[in-house]
Amino acid sequence: MIAVLGLVLGVLLGLVLQPDVPIGLQPYLPIAVVAALDAVFGALRAFLDGIFDDKVFVVSFVSNVLIAALIVYLGDQLGVGGQLTTGVIVVLGIRIFSNVAAIRRHLFHA
Amino acid sequence: MGLLNYLTATSMDEDYEHVSRVRSTRSGASMGTPGRVAVVVLAAFGVLVATAGLQTARSADITANSHDELVKQVITRKAQLSDRRDLVDSLESEVRTLRSVQIDAAVADRAVQSRLASLGVEAGALPTVGPGITIEVDNGPASDDKAEILDVDLQRMVNGLWEVGAEAISINGQRLTALTAVRTAGSSVTVNLQRISPPYTLSVIGDPGTLPSDFIDTPGGQWWLDLRSLYGVRFEINVPDERVTLPAAARLVLRYAHIPDEEVTPR
Repeated sequence: MIAVLGLVLGVLLGLVLQPDVPIGLQPYLPIAVVAALDAVFGALRAFLDGIFDDKVFVVSFVSNVLIAALIVYLGDQLGVGGQLTTGVIVVLGIRIFSNVAAIRRHLFHA
Repeated sequence: MGLLNYLTATSMDEDYEHVSRVRSTRSGASMGTPGRVAVVVLAAFGVLVATAGLQTARSADITANSHDELVKQVITRKAQLSDRRDLVDSLESEVRTLRSVQIDAAVADRAVQSRLASLGVEAGALPTVGPGITIEVDNGPASDDKAEILDVDLQRMVNGLWEVGAEAISINGQRLTALTAVRTAGSSVTVNLQRISPPYTLSVIGDPGTLPSDFIDTPGGQWWLDLRSLYGVRFEINVPDERVTLPAAARLVLRYAHIPDEEVTPR
């Protein structure tokens, strides 16, 4: 419950403050959000499995975001930024789908 | 397919299971509930999501704005282009008009020039070159007073030549004009008030084929044939191979002028 409150608080904070993203980081923001989404769904599944751990969640969240941004940055430097972005999105998307499927099984016992 | 299977199998971080195994072997401490750090990270995630959404919306606005701006520019430039095209068209038609005016002027110019040239030949204002004949006359034997050529003889000759279509005549380099008098002054003949002395050479521009025979048929020609046979004066008509060259009259005085009836446009 307290976790959902934190999430809502964060969204409200973002909407109210409307922080400016530096121009150089703008291309990496969407991919960072997708990577964070993957970490969050993984954490939710672990929570439902009863094996959630704070440290693992924080580490996976931060590393997911950083690595995704790094991969895209590397791709931009090599001239394959668009393709690498697509690859990262595909992998993260598959992970999110399977995590969500597991969560669904937990919630509905189906 | 191996990659996809791996992805779906390890979709949750393996660390969760690993850590839970380690924990369970050590102690049954509190597990499965998010702590304060997790809440902070989730809040950060919320900020991230909100920011990304706002950013996307904002850049969509910018894109739409720039699209509108471009459309506006296209419309403006199109209007400008059609204006310029109209201008080009009008300038082109102006150029055409001016060109035809210029051509007309050039035609009129040439007409005036050729008229001036033909009038100049007839008036004696221009030196003239053309096909023609030369006539050489000289006094008869010096012992005979009557064998001397008089002004009347030259007048008859000149009049006869004019009569049969001579275009220009000069006597000893003196061009004859409409106002030229051939007269005796004292003991010698003057043309254009210039004293000339025998032998006299007349240069005549006209048709070399018909001029000599036509001239002989005139009273002037008959007169000269009589002079030759009676007094032995020299009278020779030559048709030179090259063209005959006549100088311009020494001076032409403008005695009469009037403004033409039709309007003359100055250039």
